[in-house]
Amino acid sequence: MDRYAMLTAFGQDRSGIVAALSEGLYQLGCNIEDTCMTRLRGEFAMMVMVRLPAALAPDQLAARLAPHTAPLGLTVLCREVPLQATALEPPSEKPIFMLSVYGADRPGIVAQVARAVADHDGNITDMNTRVVGATDRPVYVMILEIQLPAGRGPESLQEALDRLKPRLGVDITLRAIESVRF
Amino acid sequence: MAVHPILLYPESLLKSPAASLSLSDPSLPSLIQDMVDTLDDSPGVALAAPQIGYSVNLILVDVARKKGERGHGQVLLINSRILHQNGLRIVREGCLSVPDYTGNVRRYEQTVVEGTTPDGRVVILTTSGFEALAFQHEIDHLGGILFLDRIESLSTDLFRRRAGPS
Repeated sequence: MDRYAMLTAFGQDRSGIVAALSEGLYQLGCNIEDTCMTRLRGEFAMMVMVRLPAALAPDQLAARLAPHTAPLGLTVLCREVPLQATALEPPSEKPIFMLSVYGADRPGIVAQVARAVADHDGNITDMNTRVVGATDRPVYVMILEIQLPAGRGPESLQEALDRLKPRLGVDITLRAIESVRF
Repeated sequence: MAVHPILLYPESLLKSPAASLSLSDPSLPSLIQDMVDTLDDSPGVALAAPQIGYSVNLILVDVARKKGERGHGQVLLINSRILHQNGLRIVREGCLSVPDYTGNVRRYEQTVVEGTTPDGRVVILTTSGFEALAFQHEIDHLGGILFLDRIESLSTDLFRRRAGPS
């Protein structure tokens, strides 16, 4: 039976990290399944779902990768993923929304917006936040992708977000993303 | 008359540009019937001939198959092409030939399409909304283009930064 591991790797960004990490996995007989990688300012961050060869236990993976990752100063963490969590998912039929939130930077923006989404049974499926703008006038920008339960309109979430706007001093736009299949 | 299986990527034909089609091609009537039968048997609203194994410039769009949509009804076009499009938008798109995956692609709200109907009339259709998306997707198939070729990384777009420290 296949075993899977979730690997996270982070460290100061430089060229060659993805190459070193993926070469290490390849040489260990691991199969890279799904991957997500980004940079947070100068920090490299990557998550990889890996299918392991029979002879390699999930708790051995980080140590076996060390010859490839340690020279790059990468921190690597691994843990096993339950088999049922690795099944391919058909595209969701749930309505998708993009939520843009931006305003002067202040504590609590993410927490209160995410709470409003959760209280309306919304699932945050993707999230990016950045501090932008001039150094003396930082602006916080947050973009969320949200799925609401099937058949649920955005109206009550929209009302809750409208109430948050003056409290947080932010602008908020919720818009539907049309989902089509041809 | 036959329902064909819809080809799935990595079938190479899905990545090949389709050949133009002659109205006098003797195989055209049966191909058209097969397209109609296959779409009728599928959950979709549109089909391009390469998706059922014929690398020729023929599409079938019938957005009225989706509840609440009318558009131009059933449209069969030979040698179709996009003349003009307008109104960029991001759409989460999927394809019968690429199961279990959807991605955000950049499409247009309005699309003007030119093509020849099976009875030989050259038509120019102004389409919008869902129907415009369907034509863009199917005409892409005729060029060997899948929605995977058009995926936009939304976060990268939104947060593209200057290179180096600011």
